[in-house]
Amino acid sequence: MRGKEIQTKDKHIQNLAKIVGGVQSILYKKEDLLAYDCDGFTIHRHLPKAVVFPKNTQEVAEVVKYCNENNLPFLARGAGTGLSGGAIPLNGEVIISLVRMKRLLSVDLENRRAVVEPGFVNLKLTQSISDKGYYYAPDPSSQYCCTIGGNVAENAGGAHCLKYGVTTNHILGLEVVLPNGEIIEIGKNGIPDQPGYDLLGLLTGSEGTLGIVTKITVRILKNPEAKQTVLAYFDKVSDASQAVSDIISEGIVPAALEMMDKTAIEAVEAAAFPVGHPRDIEALLLIEVDGISAGIDEQIHQILRVCKNRNVREVKVAQDEKERERWWANRKTGFGAMGAISPDYLVQDGVIPRSKLPEVLERIKKISEKYGLRIANIFHAGDGNLHPLVLFDAKKPGETEKALAAGSECLKVCADVGGSITGEHGVGIEKREEMRFIFNDEEIMAQTNIRDVFNPKNLLNAGKLFPTPGRCVEVKKERKEVITS
Amino acid sequence: MSLKESDLKKDPACTINSLGNYLWSDPPDENKWADCVHCGMCLESCPTYEQTGQEQHSPRGRVHLIKSVAEGKLEVNEAFADPVFACLDCRACTTACPADVDVGGLIEEARGQIRQAMPLTGWKGVVSKFFLQGVFPNQDRLHLLGSLLKFYQKSGLQKVVRKTRLIHIMPEHLVEMEAILPEVKQPVRKKYKHADVIKAKGETKRTVALLTGCIMDVMFSDINEATINVLTRNGNDVVIPQNQTCCGALHVHAGDREMGRKLAKQNIEAFKDAEKVIVNAAGCGCMLKEYPELFREDPEWRKKAEEFSAKVEDISKYLHDTDFEKPKAEIKTRITYHDACHLAHGQGIREEPRNILRSIPGVEIVHMPNADRCCGSAGIYNITNPEMAGAILESKMKNVPEDVEIISMGNPGCMLQMAMGVLKYGRNQRIVHTVQLLDWAYQKEDSLKEGKG
Ligand SMILES: Cc1cc2nc3c(=O)[nH]c(=O)nc-3n(C[C@H](O)[C@H](O)[C@H](O)COP(=O)(O)OP(=O)(O)OC[C@H]3O[C@@H](n4cnc5c(N)ncnc54)[C@H](O)[C@@H]3O)c2cc1C
Ligand code: SF4
Ligand code: SF4
Repeated sequence: MRGKEIQTKDKHIQNLAKIVGGVQSILYKKEDLLAYDCDGFTIHRHLPKAVVFPKNTQEVAEVVKYCNENNLPFLARGAGTGLSGGAIPLNGEVIISLVRMKRLLSVDLENRRAVVEPGFVNLKLTQSISDKGYYYAPDPSSQYCCTIGGNVAENAGGAHCLKYGVTTNHILGLEVVLPNGEIIEIGKNGIPDQPGYDLLGLLTGSEGTLGIVTKITVRILKNPEAKQTVLAYFDKVSDASQAVSDIISEGIVPAALEMMDKTAIEAVEAAAFPVGHPRDIEALLLIEVDGISAGIDEQIHQILRVCKNRNVREVKVAQDEKERERWWANRKTGFGAMGAISPDYLVQDGVIPRSKLPEVLERIKKISEKYGLRIANIFHAGDGNLHPLVLFDAKKPGETEKALAAGSECLKVCADVGGSITGEHGVGIEKREEMRFIFNDEEIMAQTNIRDVFNPKNLLNAGKLFPTPGRCVEVKKERKEVITS
Repeated sequence: MSLKESDLKKDPACTINSLGNYLWSDPPDENKWADCVHCGMCLESCPTYEQTGQEQHSPRGRVHLIKSVAEGKLEVNEAFADPVFACLDCRACTTACPADVDVGGLIEEARGQIRQAMPLTGWKGVVSKFFLQGVFPNQDRLHLLGSLLKFYQKSGLQKVVRKTRLIHIMPEHLVEMEAILPEVKQPVRKKYKHADVIKAKGETKRTVALLTGCIMDVMFSDINEATINVLTRNGNDVVIPQNQTCCGALHVHAGDREMGRKLAKQNIEAFKDAEKVIVNAAGCGCMLKEYPELFREDPEWRKKAEEFSAKVEDISKYLHDTDFEKPKAEIKTRITYHDACHLAHGQGIREEPRNILRSIPGVEIVHMPNADRCCGSAGIYNITNPEMAGAILESKMKNVPEDVEIISMGNPGCMLQMAMGVLKYGRNQRIVHTVQLLDWAYQKEDSLKEGKG
């Protein structure tokens, strides 16, 4: 559109533009860059040096090589829906946006796998194969927009990961551009469980710090024969969480088992996809079972019985696909819905043993009172992945800091009860310091050592995932470097 | 719907009339972007993001930039204007956004600021001034233009021009437009100039006023005729207030909010006595419903605008809600339906027009994938941003099923654009307004009856 030529003297910009094919494939003006100063995590902001839009692996490799040779920091970006700041250019990086590499390269139904480019949007995969009776299981709530490349980097999970596992369980092969520009392939031919170290497992969830994924072979599944969805309203959180435990101990493995608390319900009902939940309940459960038709009714029966035993106020089964979709749209837009009741929100991502839920929610309530900030809770109850959403107003002085502190305390509670500080959103910038809740210095250093094997100059996505430098870990590392050099 | 009453009731966010680097009154409304949590759920809905993959051309990016100007981080300049004006105003993002952010409203307010900071120059300026200020609001000139067009079509001049390739002097995208201009018939406002009311056939059940639209009445007068036919057929007396004018949508989209207000006031006055205002152009209907947005800083007119907007109804919804007579004659054809942005995203009307089509015996509706994706028409967008509009049209046409004879929709702008698509990509569908089909079915029924009788 605007300008047919590069209007800057900066030679790096000119050279990068040449690699990616000209002015349409690079952004370098402040007005354009500003749209890239953060991702779904908006508390930290920083302008990138430039954003490039490569069309293929070769261009990615050349951009990376150029950055590496010229010591320009760089990072990968998908749709920018990450919630922990992984795609924020803290060091004025060159952002390598993969959204134009968005093709579905092949579908192999016989071997149940598909090959996609990293910018391919999650939901589109299922949409492209559903008419043939297949789907892609990992379904983060952001699946309408987030990229499979971003999913690999964050090892994304979703409502249906209780039964089917998170992204890492569905990745069969990757093509990766290493931080020096070399192109490698892991998991050749999409054959799972190759001998040697599990590099696929290492790369998946590495938050874009080890390499840039340029091609992905994923596992696809056959659509379950039948599916039923239940919605249950509870007057007490403790009853709802007991019901969750009971369902699992009955031996049922639901495809999804989700919980929302009162504040979360208020938000989704005020937003774009209301269902008409009663406003005075304390918690709701959304439960889905799938599989072969024969067993489904029996399972639904069991679930209804469990809910009744736990004093459910009302429980119903979705009457048709439309109703089911409405329930899910309401749930899946839960984060965005916070916008309807609060100017800003900070979503946390802890994991807790299911049995501790009532205790944890009680402690989160105390944190909420202490900081004077409302906290909504959305919970992948089946696998204990809790999302406290701290509601705040960044325009009020000091409130952002309060929200951050409250969020951190929530994670501390999760770690204290024997859980973890991230289930699926990653560490990014947001939870660097909280890594200390679960790892000691040696453990953290062991991990940065691995990073250094792949990313020795630390030009790729530096400053993410591990506690900020200057603290003891990095000091020790420096000492080690002195010793070894 | 994109218009939220709660927002309108709130006092304007800023009582001094400027905000950050927005120096004029009526700046973008803080309350609108306050809802945006930067989640990105709107990205894939946006046609310009689909084309470019660039955040500044996405709803989230646009909201972010608009907010950044208010925060003083950006100036209102060319570089800011680019993403703001490349927006199609298609409102797909409003449907997708879980937090109900009114991106379209923000874009229009930002455009208002840009146009005041940097008035248009060059040919775009000339075109835009000529049409927006000179022609659309001026009935006589529009009619003159229409007559010229008619003469041009009737006299064979059109053929000559096309044959001699004289036409190639025009920029390519205008040539494409020229080729599909509909044949002009007599505007209904002229035709019914002396009729106070067009009486219902049979017993009068209700009285409605019709917005005839500016371009609509000149270029698509047959659709207005069809609208009147189906209304009277269903027991409605129809009045056509003579002092009504252009709805102002094109002006507001282009950032000329002052002219928008002027036209709005004239229409509010013109339809003062009406109980229902029926519109058959989705873009106009959406604008009329959003008049209150133009008067955020003028409580007296805002109130009038709110009262007026409550009376506005799209023809398809009105027919549907008043239980229209189901046609009995058969029209055997395969139809696909395109959701005009300002009907589906702007007014939340999706099922009503489809139900009307379904009610016609013999009609088979074929599903169009991504039916509610913008066709790239978007007011005069295809004149001002031809490249983007062309790319968007191309991806729209790919979704039109091969084996249909008719593409139906509820907006004249889309009809022109889709007709252009049919021509450009060598397809052979007819482009028809939903009410036209209903009208044809009624007419066929009548002629069958007459034949029998
Ligand atoms: C409303 C909402 C709901 C969400 N729900 C869920 C949920 O249910 N489950 C869940 O797991 N997450 C969820 N998320 C978080 C987010 O959507 C996921 O982390 C997603 O995987 C990010 O994908 P993306 O394409 O947006 O990546 P980005 O945000 O662009 O990037 C995320 C990280 O991945 C890196 N990266 C991106 N592409 C590549 C690549 N090709 N190669 C190497 N590194 C790369 C980036 O450098 C960055 O560090 C949600 C987010 C939002 C806004
Ligand atoms: S406009 Fe809506 S969907 Fe888009 S980023 Fe903002 S809140 Fe999310
Ligand atoms: S109105 Fe349409 S073009 Fe504009 S930002 Fe929204 S989706 Fe994109």
